[in-house]
Amino acid sequence: MRSRVLFARLAPLLACVGLLAVWQVAALTLNNDSFPTALDSIRAIPSILGDKEALINILASLRRMAIGFGTAVLVSIPLGLLMGRSRSVASFFNPLLMVIYPVPKAALMPIIMLWLGVGDLSKTLVIFLGVSLPVIYHSFEGAKAVEEKMLWSGAAMGLSAVERLVRIVLPAALPEILTGCRTGLVLALITMITSEMIARQSGAGNILFNALDMGQYDTVFAMIIIIGGMGIFLDAAFERMRERLVRWSEPQFDIPLSFS
Amino acid sequence: MFVSDVEKAASMNLMPSRSDLKAEAAPAAKPTIAMIEIDHVSQVFQTSSRQDHLALSDISLTVDDGAFVSILGPSGCGKSTLLYIVGGFVAPTRGTARMKGNPITGPGPDRGPVFQEFALFPWKSVLGNVMYGPRQQGVKAAEAEAQSRALIEMVGLKGFEHFYPKELSGGMKQRVALARTLAYHPAVLLMDEPFGALDAHTRTRLQNDLLNIWERDRKTVLFVTHSVEEAVFLSDKVVMMSRSPGRIRQIIDIDLPRPRRRTELLLDPRYQKYVVDIERMFDDAGDDELQP
Repeated sequence: MRSRVLFARLAPLLACVGLLAVWQVAALTLNNDSFPTALDSIRAIPSILGDKEALINILASLRRMAIGFGTAVLVSIPLGLLMGRSRSVASFFNPLLMVIYPVPKAALMPIIMLWLGVGDLSKTLVIFLGVSLPVIYHSFEGAKAVEEKMLWSGAAMGLSAVERLVRIVLPAALPEILTGCRTGLVLALITMITSEMIARQSGAGNILFNALDMGQYDTVFAMIIIIGGMGIFLDAAFERMRERLVRWSEPQFDIPLSFS
Repeated sequence: MFVSDVEKAASMNLMPSRSDLKAEAAPAAKPTIAMIEIDHVSQVFQTSSRQDHLALSDISLTVDDGAFVSILGPSGCGKSTLLYIVGGFVAPTRGTARMKGNPITGPGPDRGPVFQEFALFPWKSVLGNVMYGPRQQGVKAAEAEAQSRALIEMVGLKGFEHFYPKELSGGMKQRVALARTLAYHPAVLLMDEPFGALDAHTRTRLQNDLLNIWERDRKTVLFVTHSVEEAVFLSDKVVMMSRSPGRIRQIIDIDLPRPRRRTELLLDPRYQKYVVDIERMFDDAGDDELQP
């Protein structure tokens, strides 16, 4: 029993080490210049993180991501909840969202750049768009699934329609909303990098693609590791928060998909 | 407006029951006040094939203050809909429902629902659920907590104050739901098949506990059920409904002494007769229950 728990704790670490080992062996076997070994790539990380310029770039990326993610969540949750509780609001926004949903947000980047330039605004807007849709969708589904009788109970206690939305629909839909936010967080990271791939000016994506242009493959792979690491860290931090907020909700034996 | 109300009030008891006759015969008795008046209420639903379905047809019913009235009928007879109309959750297609003479236009804390589905707030603890109503009504936190703790103890859940609903069994959840509704002191309890989702043993225990609680403060209760035994055991008056369309078939006064004890009642021939009579009446009408 105890060894099983220990294994469950160590499993994520073992998976990482395993991946790096496979990478190392593959790179050594192929012996290709454009495919550096895992150890070489890891060795390149300190020089990136030690470089002031690179750090400023990465922090600028994270700032855009935070703003894009934050505004998207603040707009999308109320919109999704309203859509979930009002048929007319839903039928107004549904076609609009259905048009935007399948379009890769990075594909909008050139047009947005034409309108808003290559600066922070364009990139933040693309992140905003990338995050919004899953958050709206999950908020909508969460709000739609709220038990009618729960709202009736609230109404009998004297809660107004707005109070019911904020104090019953919002908490009742919270597990579903946070699932959307978690997807949104990963999408924020993806759109952050792709936006910087298209509008090359600053940011983590910029370092990556500059290194690619210059044939510095160990830096390229080091950046991939750094971006992956950021993803793992953000997701784990978000999971921590999510678990605290929805401890009351059903699933008791969730498979830990993150490293928290 | 006022004149017609008076007229309606005069013609309210379209279906006189035995207790009403008795009250007329003995004017010395305490006059009963109508808590709920359901006045020629009809409800039409649209089915999925866009056809009108008459769920309730011209229902008129008066519930006196302090009475325990059960609405009994087969599934699909509109008995829950009738309760939702009194709760203000559903607006009737025709007719009006009144609470202490005032037309019901929406839900309010004077009518407290208890649903079969419990409908607890899963993000709140037992205590949080029970305190929710009083807090909403502006009762101070400390006072609301003290009252709520007393209620939780009364429904037999002392020690579970900080449990979340998901950690409770069905019977315990329904106890919490009852305490949560009692906490904001509604004048009427609206119980919608509250024990329908529970196993037989739990149901019996909750029926006993509900009667004990009710016999203390004699709140008006409107209780929807499809169990004949449950209706007879609990009620002063049983309203029998038939379906397609939902109508009141008969109103039967249950003239059994209180406080009622289950074990004594089961041996009481009068109790047995009520149960058998009501079941026979449903059996006799078996043909119309097979209609779609």
